[in-house]
Amino acid sequence: MHTLKKTRLAIFVGLLPSLIIYVGVAILPIILSLYYSLFNWDGISAKVFIGLDNFGDIFQDDIFWLSVKNNVIIMLTGLIGQLPLGLLLALLLNRSLKGNGFFRTVGFIPVVISSVMVSLIWGMIYNTEYGFLNSVLGVIGLEGWQRNWLGDPDWSMLSISLAYIWQNCGLYMIIFLAALQNISSEVNEAAELDGATGLRKVFLITIPMIRATILVTVIYSISNSFRVFDLIQILTGGGPAHQTEVMTIYMYNNAFLSRQFGYGSAVSILILLFSLIVVVIANRVGREKD
Amino acid sequence: MTKKSPLYYIFAYLFLGVFALFNIIPIFYMIVGSFKTEQEYAASPFALPEVLQFSNYSKAWEVANMDVYFFNSLLITFISLIVTVMLGALAAFFLSRFEFKLRGALYGLFLLGMLIPIHATLIPIFMIMKNLSLLDTYLSLILPYTAFHLSLTIFILEGFMRSFPRDLEESGVMDGAGIYRIFWSIILPITRPAIATVVILNFIYNWNEYLFALVLISSESLKTLPLGIANFVGIETASLTLQMAALTIALVPIIIFYLLLQKQLVNGMVAGAVKG
Repeated sequence: MHTLKKTRLAIFVGLLPSLIIYVGVAILPIILSLYYSLFNWDGISAKVFIGLDNFGDIFQDDIFWLSVKNNVIIMLTGLIGQLPLGLLLALLLNRSLKGNGFFRTVGFIPVVISSVMVSLIWGMIYNTEYGFLNSVLGVIGLEGWQRNWLGDPDWSMLSISLAYIWQNCGLYMIIFLAALQNISSEVNEAAELDGATGLRKVFLITIPMIRATILVTVIYSISNSFRVFDLIQILTGGGPAHQTEVMTIYMYNNAFLSRQFGYGSAVSILILLFSLIVVVIANRVGREKD
Repeated sequence: MTKKSPLYYIFAYLFLGVFALFNIIPIFYMIVGSFKTEQEYAASPFALPEVLQFSNYSKAWEVANMDVYFFNSLLITFISLIVTVMLGALAAFFLSRFEFKLRGALYGLFLLGMLIPIHATLIPIFMIMKNLSLLDTYLSLILPYTAFHLSLTIFILEGFMRSFPRDLEESGVMDGAGIYRIFWSIILPITRPAIATVVILNFIYNWNEYLFALVLISSESLKTLPLGIANFVGIETASLTLQMAALTIALVPIIIFYLLLQKQLVNGMVAGAVKG
């Protein structure tokens, strides 16, 4: 038998390496971010304590609010673009259709490839001179519609949103499909005996049955929308003239391009706060309906 | 089940067909383009190539340093993966099979990581790596990849190990095996299905990671595939067909990997998303 002391030592030794790496590289930085956010600092010279001035400056910066607005657009793209589309696809695939497996396989491809690849592929689609989209428009005689999809401020956010839908829609499709397949056939039969068919059944029976899954995807989609970075950094870098900046890009540009580490840290604290607040609210709202 | 009207099937197939095309065409277009000469592509972007230009591939492979990027990505991905899964399994073992004072608090602390957006840690991690003189080294990526994926790894493995019956270790204890012996020869082997899930998840997340690489790596010789290829496309704007060849080279392995391990990969990523 082990002595208690030996067991304790084993537990300690077993957990220590994970704990050191995890706390040192994932938890400590959050605290450091909070600390850095109180300074005017370029990362090289001495820090100058300025209290909450960074936050004051951020809130007065129109570009910051523009980036918040764009985050909201990305969030809504997820909520009213990706989720309903994913659900519709799942509903269609939930019946035994020929080619079911093919559609699932194809639908998940964008989820597997890196966001860098997604961005670069869409960069080619939107390319002004030789891009796929403008070439298609040229071939079908709609030259007037050709434009610089990513460089035109009226269209750049929309173009990015479309790529964002492409990237994640398949994930929601698969998640919803798994939930739908968990609904017992008895429920479906009972519903049909009661005369609920077609859309009525979908809205009155199916959707309420997978409410828990919907809540999970809503929260995931929201927190995911605050993490969008690669797609925009590669497609536009936040341009033209900050029109496509989201908070993560705003943070990156300020910290690593303009070397304002204190200011950038303050932004990153706000990203953390915003995403936590929205997730908590979504959780509350979802729970209340139970 | 009631029979659906033919109209329903027409709609269903039409919708699914458009969706499938929407997913495939960008990739297909890129692959076709990668086999064309620049002139062919400019003249008629939709025509199939006259002759398959494999020279685009050899040129892209060379100009874009693809061998270096592949090597770096493989190395960093696998080292991070092995470290994460080994440390995570060990931590999950103690968190799930033992009772001790701080167990709940530690478990909660580890789960907290799933809520943290990595962007909120970027600047301090940059400074930590700088102060440790680790900036622009393999280790500067291996450490954050490990740290940020420990949460999900521990979460999945802990849940799995917790479901084993309590008396499982007893035979080991009777035989006088030490705690680590029990972990290695009793618990770890039966955790294999969950290990497979976390291995696949860690692989795909590490292989695709961009932001840390962007901030922490600057030497050409240390760049990972996503970072290297993004830079290459940014610089090599003159030749679209060359870009397409480079992108196709980067894309093919991951697509093959996906098609081979589709079931495990899809299940793993869904589990990762739903739990994370």
